[in-house]
Amino acid sequence: MTQPAPDRRTTELATVFVDLRTALGRVLIGKDDAATGLTLALLAEQHAYLEGPPGCGKSELAADLAALSGARTHTLVFHRDIRESDLLGDVLLSRHRHRGHERLRRELIPGPLLQAEVALLEDLPRSPGEALGPLLRILAERHALGQPLPLESAVATGPLEQVEAPIDPLEPGQLDRFAVQLRLTGLLTGGLFDEAAVLLEREAARESSRAGVRAAAGSGHAPAAANAAPRAAVMNTTTRNAAQRAAAALRVEPRTIDAYHRLLDRLRQRSADESASGDRLMSDRSFSSAALRLVRAHAFLRGAPAAAPRDLGAIRYMVAHRLPEEVQEDFDHILEELLGDPPNVTMTETGAQMPGAQSQGDDSDGAAAASSASDSWIDDQADLPAPPTLFGKPPPPAQVDPLLRALVGRIERGRIDPDTDPGGQPRGYRPLRDLDEVIDADVIEALLFTEGRLPGAPRTFERKRRSAGGAVAVLRDISASMAGRLTVWSSQVVLGILRVAARRRMRVGYVEFHHRALPHQVGGRLLHRSYSRLAEQAGQAKAVGQTNYEAPLRTALEGLRGGSGRNRHIVLLTDGLPIIGDTSVRRERQLARRLGVALHTVFLGNGDCPPVLDDISLETGGLRFCGRPLAGGGLRLEER
Amino acid sequence: MSDLTPLHDLLDHHVVGHDEVKTALLLALITREHIYVEGPPGTAKTRLAEVAARGSDLDFFFYQLHRDTRLAELVGDIVLERRKVQTDGAAPGTAGEAERIHQRIEPGGLLTAEIAVLDDISRAPGEALNVLLRILNERRFGAEPIPLMAAIATGNPMDDEYYNEPLDPANLDRFALQLRVSGLIQSGVDEAKTLIDRFAAGSVVEQPDPAPVTDRATLDALNQRMYEVEVGAAVRAALLDVLRTLVLEFECNETNSLLTDRTFLVKAIKILRGAALLAGRDTVDLPDLAALSWMTTFRVPPEAHEALPRIIGRVSRQIQAV
Repeated sequence: MTQPAPDRRTTELATVFVDLRTALGRVLIGKDDAATGLTLALLAEQHAYLEGPPGCGKSELAADLAALSGARTHTLVFHRDIRESDLLGDVLLSRHRHRGHERLRRELIPGPLLQAEVALLEDLPRSPGEALGPLLRILAERHALGQPLPLESAVATGPLEQVEAPIDPLEPGQLDRFAVQLRLTGLLTGGLFDEAAVLLEREAARESSRAGVRAAAGSGHAPAAANAAPRAAVMNTTTRNAAQRAAAALRVEPRTIDAYHRLLDRLRQRSADESASGDRLMSDRSFSSAALRLVRAHAFLRGAPAAAPRDLGAIRYMVAHRLPEEVQEDFDHILEELLGDPPNVTMTETGAQMPGAQSQGDDSDGAAAASSASDSWIDDQADLPAPPTLFGKPPPPAQVDPLLRALVGRIERGRIDPDTDPGGQPRGYRPLRDLDEVIDADVIEALLFTEGRLPGAPRTFERKRRSAGGAVAVLRDISASMAGRLTVWSSQVVLGILRVAARRRMRVGYVEFHHRALPHQVGGRLLHRSYSRLAEQAGQAKAVGQTNYEAPLRTALEGLRGGSGRNRHIVLLTDGLPIIGDTSVRRERQLARRLGVALHTVFLGNGDCPPVLDDISLETGGLRFCGRPLAGGGLRLEER
Repeated sequence: MSDLTPLHDLLDHHVVGHDEVKTALLLALITREHIYVEGPPGTAKTRLAEVAARGSDLDFFFYQLHRDTRLAELVGDIVLERRKVQTDGAAPGTAGEAERIHQRIEPGGLLTAEIAVLDDISRAPGEALNVLLRILNERRFGAEPIPLMAAIATGNPMDDEYYNEPLDPANLDRFALQLRVSGLIQSGVDEAKTLIDRFAAGSVVEQPDPAPVTDRATLDALNQRMYEVEVGAAVRAALLDVLRTLVLEFECNETNSLLTDRTFLVKAIKILRGAALLAGRDTVDLPDLAALSWMTTFRVPPEAHEALPRIIGRVSRQIQAV
């Protein structure tokens, strides 16, 4: 940390990265924020996670970063059956004769991933947790097989967390390895029709310039194909590494550190306000070293001699999975407030013009030009569309968490352990039982086995699949007394349950009730897997009529009756005493017991919980919850 | 008409009805996009795919997917390579011979075919398909481009009674063209009568595998010509308006639809060009927009898909009026 002001060399290095940023921005229309985030990640030598809906250009952006950076790259497409040797490298099996017996040793030869400077990890969440473990450790430690890795940045892509996707999302702890987290939106679904028109025009102008190069014709996203040639690198490894070193050594102004402390306080506070589970993931790892590297990189890119408070804007590229969504959306606002004035009021130039602007200046002007041009790094974000949320509505606030957690516990308890299934995920090893399984066997052991050197059978993957069975029906009181806050709240409970069910591919049913039961059927069935459609309906409920427990319970139980198996649940959401129908629902309780259906009851409101709800839950082994409205809004949820 | 008339005739000769599927199959061959045909058992899905594939004289790969489908069955054989190496003996007592073992795939199946029929794709576990569908999408395996022109996949409806898991929506997106077929007899169309008459005449029972009626050169030339088809500003504006309507009026979003940029801003242009070419024109006209409904089948909610012809009609009238 010796250099106070940027010299010519530093400015040149910054320019190279600005060029990278500009070129990346041209790759995809309307993805400037992602281009900036990736540039910062590479400059700060941090890993990045890109998520977005299919076909929005994630993979292409990542591939272009790799190509433009001139780094040695390895691409790994993750899938269910990925093996250790795909991640690490080939096996070296050595045999040494040693006093009349043979000693076998097994080593790994570092594979291409371990030699890569930029690693592209496509569809990362598709791989089973077992394979991810070693990989993520390597990413964190940048060390494998006893050697330091040349790895600078790993860029992973993954789908948007979506209810109907059959894969489990990465856990926050796994995602934390990726300091930069970016969410892309589609132009169409993001409503960016002007940008869409530009893309259409580009496509319409496309001619088959590559007769015979069929491979490229259908590949990827259009803009890359528009300039069909692979992107030429804008830098080499020496430049890149020099820039990375220079950026890492940049001084951070004391007022920046002070502002950062205050920013963290604010983020922590806001996250705690928004969510009972508090900060989602503000780990020390990310918010100390990685964050400050990004802040420095941001300053470096501006051509600034030291990291100023405004460079804290770089933190916005870290928050996608670390803060509650409300806080993410508000990030720019929070930062602005903290810094006093909006940081980008006098922005005129764009980053793309920077090299030109700079070439006119002498030494000191060069730096000035760089810093004026770089205001756009912050401005890029001004019109960032709100990140997409589940079902297009805000996620359930924390108040429903206790209920969902308890319910998930019950559902998991009721689920059968993963079944052995040849199409399932590898979940450990077991001895080979059948020659068919040799395809899944450990390569080395199979080899030794065939040579008669292995005492016993080789190990093979034990594949298991979670049974997709089970069903949950939500019965929701929409009688007149549920109007207002309770309606909103119970919508959120329903959405939460749908999400829980969708992840486990349980069938769901949804019955609204007042004096009558109003089942929402799809294709004539109460129980189905059209989660999104139910989610839409759950958001539209209106409160009318009086309360009847019998009708909805009967409807739901009839729906569950046809199926079989364990793990069937009914969740009854209500705020009142039943007035119509059999108020003690004797027959339904009996039927539920016979079918082995757990009836969970949730009573909402300040009044006394009707004893019949307790009876229902106790008899069928269901959960009992009650939600008390709080004076200042919100609801306190506790077990009865 | 177009150079593909003989192939269309061949399809007519072998399968009664299903005109939309036939046209869409030809479109897939011209535009080199993949196609997914869904329908109940016994609706000639596989037959159509097979006739189209064999009739075009291309290297052909047929695979019946099943619950335990593994990647290796689709892409070739897994080969273990063993190479003797000498170890340096850095650690005491380790000098001597060693073996380096490397697992690789000897390309076959999908990697060497020009046209692939993936039957019952919905039976394979959604997740196992990921790599397969990525190959389809990128048309390369590792760093190597593959010669595949089009994949034709069939599947059963995703209802509970067929015991298959729904395809991952992202996976379905790999198939630019998506159609739903229903049985002729079940839907009571006129062709049902023709079908029965034909079997009554006994001419269908022993049909040999069709001989090729078109070839690679013809398809290559058509693909070249496709890129010369002009897509005017009016058509582009209409396409965008249709998409805008889907997003704004029908509330298609990331959770209920697959209105991806890749498909509807990039591939749609190709499909429109192909449709114009099939109709024997070198400019895309507004009526060609009808081909969009072969792209929306499983990508937007059913009500939006059903409304598509109406939306296209309305948008076309507005554009013409301007």
